[in-house]
Amino acid sequence: MPIDVINLSHSYKTGTPFEHKVLFDVNLHISDGEFVGLIGPTRSGKTTLAQYLNALYIPRQGRVLIDNENTADKKADLVSIRHRVGYVFQNPEYQLFAPTVGEDIAFGPINQNLPQEEIDRLVKGSMEMVGLDFNTFCHRDIFALSGGQKRRAAIAGVLACRPKVLVLDDITSGLDPRGREEIMKVVKDLHLSQNITILFISNSMDEVALLARRLLVMDNGKIIMDGPTREVFARTEKLRSIGLELPEISIIIDSLQSAGFNLPRGILTVDEAISEIAAALHLREGHQ
Amino acid sequence: MELTKNITLGVYLPGESAVHRLDPRTKIISVTLLIVLLLLARSYLAFGLVALFLAGMVYIAKIPPGYALRGLKPMLPVLILMWVFQLFLYQAPGTATLFQWWVFEATEAGLHMGNLIIMRVLFLFSVTTLLTLTTSVVSLTDGLENLLKPLRFIGIPYHELVMTLVIALRFVLILAEELEKIMKAQMARGVAFDRGNFIQKTKKVFPVFLPLFIGAFKRAEELIVAMDARSYTGGKGRTKMKTLRMGRVDFAAAVIMLVFTGIMIYIFTAFKAFI
Amino acid sequence: MEKIIETSALTYAYRAGSSKEVRALQNINMAVHKGEILAITGQNGSGKSTLARHFNGLLTPTSGRVLVNGLSTDDRNNIGEIRKKVGMVFQNPDNQLVSSIVEEDIAFGPENLGLPQSEIIERVDWALHILNLEELRKETPHNLSAGQKQQVAIAGVLAMKPECIILDEPTAHLDPRGRREVLESSLRLNREEGITLVLLTHFMNEVIHCSRMLIMDSGTVKVEGSPREVFLQGDEQIEKLKQMGLDYPVASRLAAGLNREGFNLPSDIIHHEEFIASLCQLTS
Repeated sequence: MPIDVINLSHSYKTGTPFEHKVLFDVNLHISDGEFVGLIGPTRSGKTTLAQYLNALYIPRQGRVLIDNENTADKKADLVSIRHRVGYVFQNPEYQLFAPTVGEDIAFGPINQNLPQEEIDRLVKGSMEMVGLDFNTFCHRDIFALSGGQKRRAAIAGVLACRPKVLVLDDITSGLDPRGREEIMKVVKDLHLSQNITILFISNSMDEVALLARRLLVMDNGKIIMDGPTREVFARTEKLRSIGLELPEISIIIDSLQSAGFNLPRGILTVDEAISEIAAALHLREGHQ
Repeated sequence: MELTKNITLGVYLPGESAVHRLDPRTKIISVTLLIVLLLLARSYLAFGLVALFLAGMVYIAKIPPGYALRGLKPMLPVLILMWVFQLFLYQAPGTATLFQWWVFEATEAGLHMGNLIIMRVLFLFSVTTLLTLTTSVVSLTDGLENLLKPLRFIGIPYHELVMTLVIALRFVLILAEELEKIMKAQMARGVAFDRGNFIQKTKKVFPVFLPLFIGAFKRAEELIVAMDARSYTGGKGRTKMKTLRMGRVDFAAAVIMLVFTGIMIYIFTAFKAFI
Repeated sequence: MEKIIETSALTYAYRAGSSKEVRALQNINMAVHKGEILAITGQNGSGKSTLARHFNGLLTPTSGRVLVNGLSTDDRNNIGEIRKKVGMVFQNPDNQLVSSIVEEDIAFGPENLGLPQSEIIERVDWALHILNLEELRKETPHNLSAGQKQQVAIAGVLAMKPECIILDEPTAHLDPRGRREVLESSLRLNREEGITLVLLTHFMNEVIHCSRMLIMDSGTVKVEGSPREVFLQGDEQIEKLKQMGLDYPVASRLAAGLNREGFNLPSDIIHHEEFIASLCQLTS
């Protein structure tokens, strides 16, 4: 299910003294089955863009096509679009609204007026996809969950709408390292085994480096970089100039390169780095 | 979807205009006076004059007029409902019937009452909004506190009262933001707030309130803890960075207010018959 | 070493005495030393935040004691003095700013202390200056980025001239620049103003800048030492930290990996610069 954004602009608080433009002529194409990362400083327009993709905003300037369907079209079925493009908010645990995990997850399917067996099947399936055991958690009080569990329940709630595309808006912020790891594993699984297209917005360069194959960089309401993750992270100066950090590994590799080590560009994981550095060291020893 | 756009009450619009520079006490007293005048007003002429006066203030304060009016938008459905109620339910003997439908009868007196009431509500709202748009939270607090000081003689904790009021005002915007987020989260899961008839729409709104209140309580609690950690213990022993001082602008404002009040009182007495 | 905060046999339970009692802290004996930067880390729910809230009397022990400069937090009469000494910055910048103008928000604390007007102004100017916020003094916090708001929150605490500032996951919701700026200003407060810092964090790249660290797990202090000692390479240690949901800093992981490949790098590397320097040494 392709997504196209064409010349999209957006102003916030139009018609008030607080009006400011947050998107400038954004163009974007996401194909089926991609895993796209989106980074950028706060207020660069990431969330606004993301909320256009599932018709929470309807374009006034520009167009958004979801599966070739224009969201601004009077006949567009917005509810169906919102089901096909799932959106998980930042701190999604604050938007849980039913007393138990199962009831909250069932919210989407109930809105679709599906038969009860189908709803049960979806709730169970989505809980399993995020690693919450159905029997243990289905009737559990939402407030009795840990932060990481609440977040996974929130993701399950969106999955129960059977999305083809998932937009994940900074869903790991505030979690501890283990919580982050669990969520990242869930996301990876959804992409690989459920074949869901993913747009992953994050403030953590390290996470994006590990997950996304394609990376978008936003600054001041524009997409200023779009390319394979390794290539984008190789453009050190540009990223720094807009206040983004590199993934920690890239910072170290970068310094090693300046110190005269001959290392390939675009190393993104610790294991890769270890083997490449080891190879470079062996090479030097060989020369000596 | 953008809810906060239409909220002006409780928003502060920074500026350097004469209205902004007025001592908060001058503004609070003037606003109180205006409110009293509005409650007494019974003629179109009186409301017309208040409208002119407010328009003048909006102009001096350099508030975009469209923005000043925007805050009224969310109130419109309620106002229309109030108007309809008055139109049909207010009965005064000896007034002309405008039209009749089934058991309902709209009279001239009802129409007048309806008009008066919505104008009153609109202006009351506008006056308060004008105050909050041009006065920062802290100076509003300072002004109110200073004016309410005499209350301490009858044992009323005036500082705490003011602080509560001011924080409540601040929460208007926060709650709107929170509401927008929750509604969006539910829309993302298939709720169509814009579909269905009135009752269906109302029913959809209910699940929004649980997370809204949980969110609001959480925020309020965090704010209380943060205030506590910064040694806030209420008004006792507190000092202020800024002292209130009346200046020439305040004198000018006082003169304007006196003249305006004079005119209004003249209208009230002279045009009594003009209902 | 002089201790600012000291806990002895500190135990804390939510809803103590009821059937729903939840033990959050268990027999904690620790101290914060004057002038240090102490990192407290551990998984969500490990009790870090609960412990930190004992340091300025926001919570008081169910049993045991917490002393701040020798004053017990149990005695309500001490609380005023304690809050003057120990300031606190919270995770969510939106929910801790009181005023709608930056400078007025920073004045909130000093005003609560009942200082004379001239001193309040002096302190606000000073705090704005130290955190490089002078240009934002008339702004409304609503228009600032999350990182800037957090700096304003720090300035608001700084203006109370505390000896110690507790930072409760101050960077959890910030973007990379915000995180870096907040960390840098905090470290500067320690270096230049001699303020003791207690930093609660999940980020190991923040922990490595601290002089000492505690790792909490299920309401107890499990590990204590300098980051260099804690992150010393060793399979047992790595396993132990992993069980508490924590990772080694990236430089340590790289060094450990290379050592497994047969190289001979120091086993206590935690900083990037050290790692690079020792690699250069290896090849020179």
